[in-house]
Amino acid sequence: VTSKDRQDLFKGLAFCSPWIIGLCVFTLLPLILSLYYSFCDYSLLQDPVWIGTQNYRDIAHDELFWQALRNTFAYALVALPMGIIISIAMALLLNQNIKGQSFYRTTIFLPSLVPAVASAMLWMWLFNAKLGLINTVLSAIGVNGQISFDWLNNLLHLQGNDAFKALPLPPAWLNDARTAMSALILMSFWGVGNSVVIYLAGLQDVPRELYEAADIDGASGWQRLWNVTLPMISPVIFFNLIMAIIGSLQTFSTPYIMTGGGPYHATYFYTMYLYDKAYVFLQMGYASAMAWIQLFIVLILTALAFWTSRRWVHYQGK
Amino acid sequence: VQQVKRVIGAIIVLGIAAVLIFGPRSEAPPVEGRVVVEYWEKWTSKEGQQMMEVVDDFNQTVGAEKGIYVRYLSMSSINQKTLVSTAAGVPPDVAGLWDHQVPQFAAADALMPLDQMAKPYGITDGYYKKVYWDSCHYRGKLYALVSTPATVALLYNKEYFEERADRLKAAGLDPNRTPQTLQELDRYAEALDDVEKLPNGSMNIKSMGYVPLEPGWWLALTGLWFGTENYDAATDTLQLDNPKMVEAFTWIQSYATRLGNNAKISEFRSGFGTFNSTQNPFLVGQVAMVQQGPWMANYIENLKPSWNRWRVPPEKLEVERKSAEVREGMSLAEVKGLLGEPKEMQEAAGTTRGTWDAGIKTVTVEFAGDKVKTKSAALLPAVDRRKYCQWGVAPFPSAVPGLKDVTFGAFDTMVIPKGSKHPKEAFEFIAYVNRQDVMEKLCGMHCKNSPLTKVSKEFIANHPNPYIEIFDELARSPNAHGVQQVSVWPIVSDEMNNAASGVFQLLATPQEALHTAQIRSANGYDHFREVETKRKGESK
Repeated sequence: VTSKDRQDLFKGLAFCSPWIIGLCVFTLLPLILSLYYSFCDYSLLQDPVWIGTQNYRDIAHDELFWQALRNTFAYALVALPMGIIISIAMALLLNQNIKGQSFYRTTIFLPSLVPAVASAMLWMWLFNAKLGLINTVLSAIGVNGQISFDWLNNLLHLQGNDAFKALPLPPAWLNDARTAMSALILMSFWGVGNSVVIYLAGLQDVPRELYEAADIDGASGWQRLWNVTLPMISPVIFFNLIMAIIGSLQTFSTPYIMTGGGPYHATYFYTMYLYDKAYVFLQMGYASAMAWIQLFIVLILTALAFWTSRRWVHYQGK
Repeated sequence: VQQVKRVIGAIIVLGIAAVLIFGPRSEAPPVEGRVVVEYWEKWTSKEGQQMMEVVDDFNQTVGAEKGIYVRYLSMSSINQKTLVSTAAGVPPDVAGLWDHQVPQFAAADALMPLDQMAKPYGITDGYYKKVYWDSCHYRGKLYALVSTPATVALLYNKEYFEERADRLKAAGLDPNRTPQTLQELDRYAEALDDVEKLPNGSMNIKSMGYVPLEPGWWLALTGLWFGTENYDAATDTLQLDNPKMVEAFTWIQSYATRLGNNAKISEFRSGFGTFNSTQNPFLVGQVAMVQQGPWMANYIENLKPSWNRWRVPPEKLEVERKSAEVREGMSLAEVKGLLGEPKEMQEAAGTTRGTWDAGIKTVTVEFAGDKVKTKSAALLPAVDRRKYCQWGVAPFPSAVPGLKDVTFGAFDTMVIPKGSKHPKEAFEFIAYVNRQDVMEKLCGMHCKNSPLTKVSKEFIANHPNPYIEIFDELARSPNAHGVQQVSVWPIVSDEMNNAASGVFQLLATPQEALHTAQIRSANGYDHFREVETKRKGESK
């Protein structure tokens, strides 16, 4: 190594140092500390006390932890695939060469620019059971009365408190434990604009000659979509899927503002519980353990997505 | 290339120099030679400005005399910011936490005990009303003092009662008084409900006599009105699912099933506006009775002033409205033209003073010669104002025969976090706020009762809440309960509120919901005690 090389290395490191220092101080150190705290009882206000794997063992028996996890998975399982389907459908529509294309694209993208708090406030009014626009429209088109679940109760031999209770129509949305999660899932589609833009970019990259070849082979529109478009944008779908898995498992601000986790913990998400444990109940050690479990869940799901991607993600030129 | 490098280098150097010269810098002490006390408080907007007034008074008087300057910083999420700053070793000198955080922070050894500091100022048990004094303690030590307190009472809409007087009479109830027992409250509520049958057979709830979930801020404490508490101090155990608590939550659930359709009640509730809005369900007549605190008078004055001027003769209201137009320098004739003939005119030493009845106030205008010199307005004495209130206040009735004046004594606190740089000076300020005159000024502005045993007649008479005496008496009641000294109170509160939500939605029986709350909270408390024991062991 010449002195010039050393000088270049020093200069390079000097230029990178803000990032290196930032990563070490604000990411790496907290990461390591949170791993240590996850094995401690730590209220932030007192020194941590080593309790071994107690936090992890407590989590295993914590009903609320499992409920929050169930809620989060239920949300992700519906919101994630539906979000992808809706985004692709929107992108396909917006990819059509029609008049006013830019206007439509802007319109679809605009909601994703609205801050989360403003969106939440807006949707709280839309979902208002008495005065909300959604129920006003539903009532106007005759969605009234109730949905009975007697058939299901009879089938499962459910009685008393175990039985499913009839759902009033139009529903009370956020005020009813049975519909609050559905309302949040519906609302999540409002912000698909970001992924629509990414899908649109992906669609523009699909080589024209593939469509021409499909046309020559006599492929129908559906066959073109299934055999050309989707495989060609599969890397984009894969990217959005990974981002959506991470995003949906970290859902926090919208339910925090709109429902506070209620009614009856029906919309209590994993990250909300983690936050409460850390900053409301002052159990930072427990929250750290939860954060590590969350990281492992995300890692496992991401690894699963990568593993399956070999079968359905196609990169151009491979 | 060398040239470009030089230009970039020069830009960077100039940028750094600009930041150093014009950039932000640490604030110099506002008054040289004074100790600066950092005070963080939760209040923003009007309440924040009112506290700022008290801080300014201190800085100009006691602060100036003793060389202390209090720097007031108003912020949201004060509990979390105090928590993080205390953990980091850079806490404020005074923090304005909520009452339920006192046991939580004290248990974590994050607050300074104040007993020794308070004594020389005469702040001992007799100085405070018992309910507040007890709640400022954790395990026998004083960790907080009160900034503004409150008690919880029943607020009712007088006009709503009057309009449905026939219905109340038909139900054997007196429309001119409030319910005396919880059973009677239920009967009043039922008689006051306005429900219409729709042509399609369903119902539309127009208004209700009472709904426990409006505003529902003290649902976790419902047991108090049934003669039980969430925590038994004698045995140091939580008792969230004891039979009386089950009875309390069965009562909450009865309001969901009363009209035979809890979904309709959910729908009705979802139409409620937020508390701090003109669409507040109590103020728009959607709910006739609510559980509320003394501050409601301020909200009424801001959001629905007509409720404080009910049946005031229109001409007097006109005088109140026009009195705002009286300006310095106006002539007596002009003032008379605006307000009419004064009720009284007094002359002394070259000045003339005229007084007018103006709505719920008395307006006094002082003239020097023929010109207006000063104008002031004073509220009518509280007792006289009550008849002009469209709303009334009474103790919230209890379910237990003979158990009277049950209330929850809530309060905002001032604490000194451990690590405070100037605890002595910080306490000087806390003690100043706790002076009777200062406390009454602050509590008057915030529309709350005083935590102190001694209360002046003027405080009661001139208070913006004409019913403040009722709130004050409730605070003195032997059945007034404060925050319980449980370190895991946030868990208890969260679980109890969740249980209330579950029973009101008919998703669980009161027994099931409370049992779940008990298990989760007790687990949290057991864990706290285990770690506490371990800590003690390690420190030995």
